[in-house]
Amino acid sequence: MANKKESGSCQVQIKFITKQEQYAVPDTPFAVPTGITCTQLNTLVNQLLKENRSDISTTVDFDFLVRGEFLRQPLNEFLDDQHISHEEVVEVEYVEQHPTPEPMDCLMHDDWVSAVQVRNGWILTGCYDNTLHLWTKTGKHHLTIPGHSGPVKAVSWVYLTPTVGSFVSVSHDQTAMLWKWSVEENSVDCIHVCRGHERSLECVAVNEKSTHMATGGWDTLLKIWTTAMREKPSEAAEQVGESDETEVKRAKLDGSAKSHIKTPIMTLKGHREAISAVVWTDDQEIATSSWDHTLRVWDAELGGLKSEIAGNKSFFDMSYSPLNKAVITASADRHIRLYDLRSTEGTIVKGTYTSHTQWVQSVKWSTTDEHLFISGGHDCQVLLWDTRSPRAPLYNLEGHEDKVMCCDWSNPRYMVSGGADKTVRVFKSRLLPDSLGNDEDKYEL
Amino acid sequence: MAPKKVGTKRKAEKPSEETKTNVVTAQNGDDEHEEVDLLQTFSDNDSSDAEGDDQDSDDSDGYVQQIGSDAGSGDESEEDESDEVDSEDDGTEDEGDSEDSGEDEEESEIDGSEVEGGDEGDVSELEWESDDAMNDFLERLPAKLKNALEASLEARKTSKPVKEQGSKSDTQNKTATDKSIVSKNLKKKSKNEKVDTKKSSVKEKVESGSEDAKKKDEGTKSDVKETEESDIFKDIERRRLDPSTEYESGDTSDEEDIRNTVGNVPMNWYDEYPHIGYDWDGKPILRPKRGDSIDQFLKRMEDPNFFRTVRDPQTGQDVVLSEADVELIKRIQSGQIPDAAFDDEAPWVEYFTSEVMQTPISNIPPSKKSFLPSKHEADKVSYFVSLLKARKMKTKMQRAIENAKKRRKKFYMIWGMDDNTVEPMRRIHNNLTAPKRLLPGHNESYNPPAEYLFNEQEMKQWNLHEDNFRKRKLHFLPQKYNSLREVPAWDRYVRERFLRCMDLYMAPRGVKDRLLIEAEDLIPKLPSPRDLQPFPTTMSMVYEGHTDMVRTITVDGKGQFMISGSDDMTIKVWEVSTGRCMRTINVGGIVRSVCWCPNQALSLVAVAADRKLLLINPGVGDNLVVAKTDSLLKELPEDTTMVPERVKAAIQWEQATSEEWATGIRVVMNHFKEIKQVTWHGRGDYFATVMPEGENRSVIIHQLSKRRSQIPFSRSRGLVQCALFHPIRPMLFVATQKHVRVYDLVKQVMAKKLMTYAKWISSMAIHPGGDNLLVGTYDKKIMWFDLDLSTNPYKTLRVHYTAVRGVAIHKRYPLFASASDDKYVVVSHGMVYNDLNKNPLIVPLKRLQYHESYDDFGIFDVVFHPTQPWVFSAGADKTIRLCT
Repeated sequence: MANKKESGSCQVQIKFITKQEQYAVPDTPFAVPTGITCTQLNTLVNQLLKENRSDISTTVDFDFLVRGEFLRQPLNEFLDDQHISHEEVVEVEYVEQHPTPEPMDCLMHDDWVSAVQVRNGWILTGCYDNTLHLWTKTGKHHLTIPGHSGPVKAVSWVYLTPTVGSFVSVSHDQTAMLWKWSVEENSVDCIHVCRGHERSLECVAVNEKSTHMATGGWDTLLKIWTTAMREKPSEAAEQVGESDETEVKRAKLDGSAKSHIKTPIMTLKGHREAISAVVWTDDQEIATSSWDHTLRVWDAELGGLKSEIAGNKSFFDMSYSPLNKAVITASADRHIRLYDLRSTEGTIVKGTYTSHTQWVQSVKWSTTDEHLFISGGHDCQVLLWDTRSPRAPLYNLEGHEDKVMCCDWSNPRYMVSGGADKTVRVFKSRLLPDSLGNDEDKYEL
Repeated sequence: MAPKKVGTKRKAEKPSEETKTNVVTAQNGDDEHEEVDLLQTFSDNDSSDAEGDDQDSDDSDGYVQQIGSDAGSGDESEEDESDEVDSEDDGTEDEGDSEDSGEDEEESEIDGSEVEGGDEGDVSELEWESDDAMNDFLERLPAKLKNALEASLEARKTSKPVKEQGSKSDTQNKTATDKSIVSKNLKKKSKNEKVDTKKSSVKEKVESGSEDAKKKDEGTKSDVKETEESDIFKDIERRRLDPSTEYESGDTSDEEDIRNTVGNVPMNWYDEYPHIGYDWDGKPILRPKRGDSIDQFLKRMEDPNFFRTVRDPQTGQDVVLSEADVELIKRIQSGQIPDAAFDDEAPWVEYFTSEVMQTPISNIPPSKKSFLPSKHEADKVSYFVSLLKARKMKTKMQRAIENAKKRRKKFYMIWGMDDNTVEPMRRIHNNLTAPKRLLPGHNESYNPPAEYLFNEQEMKQWNLHEDNFRKRKLHFLPQKYNSLREVPAWDRYVRERFLRCMDLYMAPRGVKDRLLIEAEDLIPKLPSPRDLQPFPTTMSMVYEGHTDMVRTITVDGKGQFMISGSDDMTIKVWEVSTGRCMRTINVGGIVRSVCWCPNQALSLVAVAADRKLLLINPGVGDNLVVAKTDSLLKELPEDTTMVPERVKAAIQWEQATSEEWATGIRVVMNHFKEIKQVTWHGRGDYFATVMPEGENRSVIIHQLSKRRSQIPFSRSRGLVQCALFHPIRPMLFVATQKHVRVYDLVKQVMAKKLMTYAKWISSMAIHPGGDNLLVGTYDKKIMWFDLDLSTNPYKTLRVHYTAVRGVAIHKRYPLFASASDDKYVVVSHGMVYNDLNKNPLIVPLKRLQYHESYDDFGIFDVVFHPTQPWVFSAGADKTIRLCT
């Protein structure tokens, strides 16, 4: 072994395990020096792989987990911190390191970007200059969509087919707008103006089946709307004619006259202060986060409060992962907290992730990996986290020069964030080969 | 004749009192020692006198009788008598003094009887002149006889003369006296025979003397026989002569002739009985028969001795008195000395001379004691007197008890108290016992085992700590000597003793209870800031955009937007959560105060820009409200009332021009002086502007709905610094430089005047409850007034280093904050309890320093977020900062 010369010093027995079958090595225990680091472990595993597996020729970078937590320091320090005995055989799990995200594009805007969402290859952004922007994944500006009379605070795709897409945007002007985008015609119509909120809207979410959406805002009300669109052939024709004129289409302020006003199908009252984020946990259930320090789960069908989790800070954002049924929140402090909405007993906070130095404004789960999420904060950082590494993020996605106000990872290939520096930064997440599976085509659109 | 008599007397008495040898020598030496023994004689005579005195208690003239008997014994009997006495003394030398004296008496008694016997003839000569006289005598006689008999009976034990009488009166029976005399004589005789052979000559002489006396006795006795009733004496004589009967009746001298044994009781007790008593055998003695008066008469006529016959009441027998008795009676009756032989006219014999002699008898000079009063005694007496006065005099018994107690041995408990407890140290309480010295170990031995001696390494260590001996393992060097006598004197002995003494002396022997007051204890116990969360701790947001100092900020009721006014003559509307400036409105003047209208139905901000007060619709928030506000302010209310000139001169309301309207300005109010502050009433209809230079018009209250103004005060009370509406009640707080006046707007009177004791008030904030007021001053202080409590500050906080420019109280959280030119925002906990008995709890929590100073200015204003525990501060560094 490589550590023969150090046999005089203290040694600890380790056993390598992995869940990635292609990198499996024999589970024989090894005696290694206690002070072994990740890089040394990596070398060791790679050496083992070379010895055992003829098919792997290149060096693979691995991350090592001990007892479900990433090893970021010498092994002995970690064991001491975790109060693990040096005597027993330590099981070291190794996973292939998440590939480093690569900065791809910087989408320049005229004003602060407060909302962003990616669907397939399209990036939809909301801007403080009351406009929505549509970008291609390659960073090409596709459309500027005016319509709001106030800063756009949130956007969400409703559906997107190769021919037609639909999205919703909410704004300070107390309205949510439901847009229909004809891909081929490159025209966007505001089909519905959703009126009902009495103050600025903050958030919007569309459910999995794209049938309903929920909005929340400073009037503390949670409103549920349908996304169903009224089909108006005549108006559609008009729109087509207009859309021919320019590439960048500017909807008139009185566009609402053309669009039909939508009213909420349900209004849920309960929060005492502004609702900052809303997510659909399943088709009939909505979770909201609010400035009044609570997370609430609502029944969208029956229209009632299901449960409530109290934090001790105002919540600014939340994200729900259907993969692990957990919620991460961003609140008015430096910490990202992991909640399990289903459990209301014991310690409610399942994990705390601290690396930001300022308020965290936005969090987003990975759609493919149950451990990964990204966060953006006022400290100009976008961080990629693994839930197994609470103290340090996996990557810091640098680039922003001002407060990060929104981030999105709806497309597993692209990590997108927008901020007060009027840019949207796109990072290409090099996906692990196995995580994409068969859906690759979908995202490649 | 007389001196000789004395000499004989002396001779006779001397041996009786003194030792036998003396007697012998006296007899042998005859009269040779007469003068030498003068003193001796004196003392003897004294004692005999004393004897005579004793006898006088019963019989006054006993002594005289004795003398008389001696005297009357005649010349011829002198020698014999003395001899006889001598012999008797010889015989009784073993029997003791008391008996001797008794024998003396009896001897003389006998002499007396002899003398009386010699006078027998006188009685016969007694003649009675008449029967009457005789009767008279007879009547008187029994009483006298009786007396005489009683006397004789009593005196018989002690005195000779009376006994003699008694014995003589006993005619029929032999008296006990006689018996005793006889027996004594006999006894003496027998003893005489035993007398030592050495003095045989003396003995012979005595015997011859006694024989002579016997012969004489017989002579006298024969005389007595001649009298008819002298058989008693015969009997005595017979017994005397017959030694066999000598001891028949016992040996005691007090033996009596008692034929009736009833004792000395009145005989009339037996008058009723046929007997008059009981004889020795216990048989009753029958009363003798008495004849009747005829028999008496016959007896008188026939019996010549009738006149001398008396009846013995004890026996009832008739006793015929002898001649001597009669004679004696006669003499007594006539008041003469009973003893006829007594020569009462005999010449006085002076035994001692009455002349004072030239030289004292004794050569010893009289002691000083005898003529000087004793000082010691006088002292003692005065001491006793003082004791008595003080009632401290003790009886002998008490003194004895005390003395006994004192003399008793006392034991002291040396090591402890009686009750087995350790005696506490006197004067030293809670004492610290001196540490005990360790017992000596092996290494302290003069000859320690080798392992206790220092080896080289230990020696090195020992030498290493030469200076610091405390680091040494031992305080001495173990040393080895072969024998104890080689051990030298301990050279450090004196020093060590001295140090030990010093240790004991200097050591504090009592544990002193020191008052442990630490500085921390004097600080009031405040809860830890950790327990008082949440409160702002870090800066979270910077609102940048102003180009000059930001003087004032205000936050809308929801907490979504914030408006700041700056020296760059603009106000800016900020989105709180993102720091985004939503709007900038140029107001054309230095903005000194902005205040959001608290009415939620209005979207209106009052902005004080120089002399103008602008009501601006910021156009954020609820669109409906914004539109409504615009429409409301568009149309002027009907101005019906006349505006007073005084008010008109101070303020003019103006509708905004269309240009201004576009920027958001709705109403412009021109004031006559620079406006320093604007404040809204809680309902949002009234607002007040403060112009410090406005003198008596420095505070103007405006009503928005009627676009009307009024000047509440007619008189200036100083430079008004700021004004504040009570959140609930119609009250106005007006702060001048040094005081805060509370005006009741309804009653239009001053309700209170709060004394700040500060030099210059800068700002005020009121607790949402309305009972607590926070005042910041330019002299670095923040004062918390509890309006219910007092007009003086409840607490004064000195948490700033320079002038305090702004204070704020949170509407929901128990927080208040102050901002100062020292760039600090100090956040404090200010809990107001519903319980009126509980005073507000004020705890400074956090000092936030994020601003930078600019032109010596730090922070101008501080405002709390309405719903979150966040604090905004407007600084001179052109930024507004949010701390959360």
